[in-house]
Amino acid sequence: MGGEVGEASPPITPAMHSAVALRGITKRFPGVVANDHVDFEAAEGEVHALLGENGAGKTTLSNILTGLYRADEGEVVLFGEPREFHSPRDALDAGIAMVHQHFRLVSPFTVAENIVLGDHRDVGRSFLLHQRTIERRVAELSKRFGLALDPRARIWQLSLGEQQRVEIVKALYRDARILILDEPTAVLTPQEADALFETIRAMADDGRTVIFISHKLHEVKAVADRVTVLRRGRSVATVHAAEATRRSLAAMMVGREIELGRREDDGRRAGDPVLVLEHVSGDGDRGRAALADVSFALCAGEIVAIAGVAGNGQRELAETVAGMRRATSGSIRANGRLLQSGDPRHAIATRIAYVPEDRLGTGVAPGLSIASNLVLKSYRSPPASRGPLLLLGRIRELAQRLMHNHDVRATSPDVPARQLSGGNLQKVVLAREFSGEPSVVVAASPTRGLDVAAIETVHTYLRDAAAQGVGVLLISEDLDEIFALADRILVMYEGAIVGERDAATATAEELGLLMAGGEEHG
Amino acid sequence: MNNSLLVVVIAQGIAYGTPLLYAALGELLAERSGVLNLGVEGMMLVGAVMGFWAVQRFHVTSPLALVGAIAVAALAGAAMAAIHAFLVITLRANQIVSGLALTIFAGVAGLSSYLGNDLNLARSPARHQFQAIFPKSWQDINAVGPILFGQSALVYASWVCVVLVALYLTRTRVGLNLRAVGESPAAADAMGIDVAGYRYAHTLVGGAFAGIGGATFSLSITPQWLAGLTQGAGWIAIALVIFAFWRPTLCLVGAYFFGAFTYLPFALQKYSWAPPPELAQSLPYVMTVLALVLVSSRAARLRFGAPSALGQPYVREER
Amino acid sequence: MRIERRLAQPRWLMLVVPLLSLVVAFVVATVILLATHHPPLHSFRRLFDAAFLANGALTETVVSATPLAFTGLAAAVAFRMNLFNIGAEGQLYAGAITGATMGLLLGGAPSPVTIAVMILAGSAGGALLAAIPGVLRAFFSTNEIITSLMLNYVMALVIDYLIFDSHSYLRETKGFNASVFPQGKQLPDAATWSSWTIHGLVLPLGFLVAIGVAVGLWFLYSRTRFGFEVQVIGDSARAGRYAGMRTRRKILAVMLLSGAVAGLGGASQDGDFRHQLDPRGLTQANYGYTGIVVAALARYNPFAVVVVAFLLGGLQNAGYTLQGADFPNGLVGVLQGLILFCVLGGELFVRYRIRFERRPSTAAPATQ
Repeated sequence: MGGEVGEASPPITPAMHSAVALRGITKRFPGVVANDHVDFEAAEGEVHALLGENGAGKTTLSNILTGLYRADEGEVVLFGEPREFHSPRDALDAGIAMVHQHFRLVSPFTVAENIVLGDHRDVGRSFLLHQRTIERRVAELSKRFGLALDPRARIWQLSLGEQQRVEIVKALYRDARILILDEPTAVLTPQEADALFETIRAMADDGRTVIFISHKLHEVKAVADRVTVLRRGRSVATVHAAEATRRSLAAMMVGREIELGRREDDGRRAGDPVLVLEHVSGDGDRGRAALADVSFALCAGEIVAIAGVAGNGQRELAETVAGMRRATSGSIRANGRLLQSGDPRHAIATRIAYVPEDRLGTGVAPGLSIASNLVLKSYRSPPASRGPLLLLGRIRELAQRLMHNHDVRATSPDVPARQLSGGNLQKVVLAREFSGEPSVVVAASPTRGLDVAAIETVHTYLRDAAAQGVGVLLISEDLDEIFALADRILVMYEGAIVGERDAATATAEELGLLMAGGEEHG
Repeated sequence: MNNSLLVVVIAQGIAYGTPLLYAALGELLAERSGVLNLGVEGMMLVGAVMGFWAVQRFHVTSPLALVGAIAVAALAGAAMAAIHAFLVITLRANQIVSGLALTIFAGVAGLSSYLGNDLNLARSPARHQFQAIFPKSWQDINAVGPILFGQSALVYASWVCVVLVALYLTRTRVGLNLRAVGESPAAADAMGIDVAGYRYAHTLVGGAFAGIGGATFSLSITPQWLAGLTQGAGWIAIALVIFAFWRPTLCLVGAYFFGAFTYLPFALQKYSWAPPPELAQSLPYVMTVLALVLVSSRAARLRFGAPSALGQPYVREER
Repeated sequence: MRIERRLAQPRWLMLVVPLLSLVVAFVVATVILLATHHPPLHSFRRLFDAAFLANGALTETVVSATPLAFTGLAAAVAFRMNLFNIGAEGQLYAGAITGATMGLLLGGAPSPVTIAVMILAGSAGGALLAAIPGVLRAFFSTNEIITSLMLNYVMALVIDYLIFDSHSYLRETKGFNASVFPQGKQLPDAATWSSWTIHGLVLPLGFLVAIGVAVGLWFLYSRTRFGFEVQVIGDSARAGRYAGMRTRRKILAVMLLSGAVAGLGGASQDGDFRHQLDPRGLTQANYGYTGIVVAALARYNPFAVVVVAFLLGGLQNAGYTLQGADFPNGLVGVLQGLILFCVLGGELFVRYRIRFERRPSTAAPATQ
């Protein structure tokens, strides 16, 4: 299928010098081939996008390029020289640096300390740390590239956008010629993303190569010179961004036409409120305020999305509603009953289902069997148990039925949950949560890290639930997902709801402004 | 005045706290790299027995024999730590169980007793031992004399170690890298720092410190070899690291505090109002529990936490 | 060389790896024996002989295995939930104290009553002591490893105090030697636990109780809601909380259970073997610490604990029998530690696959 849309890769013109080339890279993990003979080439001064859906092998490929993984087959050619990296240090010394999707920062350290970490060249060779000199150099660098940073600030005090700047300055400090940015906009508002694109252009104009990893078509179109598309671990095509359309890129990425845009009006109408929060405040893990006077109502048959940049209290909100976190003030009512704050069992009894962001570890007990995980919330009552005794046979039957109904693919219900793929694992969570006949579903980043097929499954679950009169609270950092599902959108910033929009009329730009805390930040 | 209870308890508290201090400094270094080593007691005991063996066998002048013995004790402690390091860093075994295994292997019913009995070390006094190094006249100075000038070289060396470890952690690049390895091995790895290398190095150095701590018993405090002569000091040292919030200077304060409690029963013996010795001897253990409860309050834990990656193996190539 | 997680763990590996681990442990022990000038094969044969083959050896092995089964079960119960109670040593002393006290108090009562009360009192004593680290862990998040361990030292001093340094109820105060050689008061005959002899092998009541406890714990952990909750919390405390489980109560309950089992072992020491509160005998035996080895080797499975306790009991028994110049004290601990190390290390091979691959000889240095 890919052959129909894949064009011949445009050659690098003689004026452009190849900075990095990957030839026939193959990397296998137990049970999966993450990269299957991937070819990729980027030139000096080029912004080259690596496009593909989750699980297509983009991150694995960049981890090979940065020396974190070693390829099973294939070669890495850098500025015309074949190279082999044994560790990230080799790659860094060769001028390759990466900004990981989950930042690799030491959060109790200062900005300056993070930047000089592991440096072993000239000044870095000195045994003693010269705090002042380092801070001065960091200040100089961040000024030159317009990346405002306080070298003395501690990482945990910074917003995610600022942390990303630290990562970029870190790369520049190590004189990286090739920068890899892995899904860099996932933690940014649309406006912050635009600023990042300018930085990316500035770095490319400076002669550096920027490899921009993304699964978002419009971003790729906006920032890249050329695009290499990965699908299921293979490189499908390399095209000039200017010549490609979003639709053609999408087809290459997924291998078929996909729907883009907003949810259609299916005529479903919201009913009575099923979840009402009034003036809810609460603390985060570090004991600082994380929720500030949150009030809203969610109605039966409605999908309300909470939009916002990660770390603005969404996780705490979800946990508070699910009873896993105690509110310091305010009240939550579900189905008219007042929820006991900080009591997950009461929330379960009130038929609040919760699909947590952290699937492996919270959503399931990874070492236990699928069957055990399917009865994680229902083991207290028949048919899973009678009195204090578990009915193992019944549990197995129940598990087999649920696995069949929800298409969980595993050889038996006794397989440990840890061994399931992300999509299958999420199906286990959904099967369990929906088997409790919920009236409210809280879904926190329910599609993070899933491939397109699994994402569609999750979306179907949420839409069907709403159609059957369940109130769905969707927490997501992905505006595309929000537009595809939500009826109403609430925007969270620093623990407070700063705005509400109708999903049918809202624009990404206005939501972005709200996510950044209002107009003055834009 | 120099015989007053307070002066004696402070002076002896410093002496009795010194093995705790060495062991705690070592454990601190290992834990800062992310490796929890519960084998301190075992490493101390092996250090004690090997140090004592060395001092009996080295036929050289007293200072040389003692320095040699300390070196042997440090090597022995490091060798024990190497077992733990290999198991938890390379073989990714559970750090808690491996540390317990080390204590059982090396401890009072294991290697340290085996060596002590096999080398016939029991019931003979040390041929050389660490003694006060300052002139008698200095030691007689009121109050300050016994406390500051009545100590052995091991005590003064431990002060140097505290300063060095503190500076190492905060003022050097290697120290910075070390802290990064313990806080966020993934971040350290991405910046080209050899996570396993740092962990091995500091676990081994930690073992060496524990070995020296053990030798402090057999060469200075006791000074002879008895099976299990550390009496749980290794465990107190582990607790000490926790309530020193992983800071070397606080380790010093804590070690002397517990040293004083260890010595207190001996000091009280001559008083008629003294409690039964067994109950007085249980003070350091009870105080350890109480101190741990104090520092495990939520506020304290939020402000100075343990290294985030403590106890967790770092595995790069796994999805 | 690369280490990868196995997707499936083949069954044969689960058998082969522990066996190989044992072999490796004995190879290393051989090296240690050779290095200290002891003939290894001879030593091992004598060890095995004294443990299992010699006349009456099995009976003595059961005597050593009984307390190890209790402390092993105590450790396994808690470790299953990632609760590292290493206070079985002290909890066993506590059980021995309460058990002996009740045995003495009930001097005239019929034997079955006395035994039953001793069992209950021993369990209660151990549980009570374990409640301290349990409460501290559940409500103050205090590290239970260190608190439970510190109490071992405290209890060792308490037990010394009761017999050597006080005029406690438990101390023998009458008689010729009472003040010169202090010792515990002899328990009345009614407090002597029964035993059964089968083909010359003496099975004490305590050993049978331990087997009963193992069965009970297996049932509790695999067939009840309580056990399910322990499994979930042990695997992921967050998942437990997510599922609405009362984590603190479980922590406390499991600590109490663990302490009770260890305390029962203490009562069995009084009733089965020592017939008095015997400070020296108890504190020198290291039952609690060895119990950790037993539990870890048994992978916290209650039935396996009994089997491993029997094997390590043999080792311990041989250690006592052979103690002397050519069989230095401490060798048994060395062997136990080595076995545990090897089994721990061996687990890597069950969980992971090691792949060796040719390293390309051209390391491709950049020669500009």
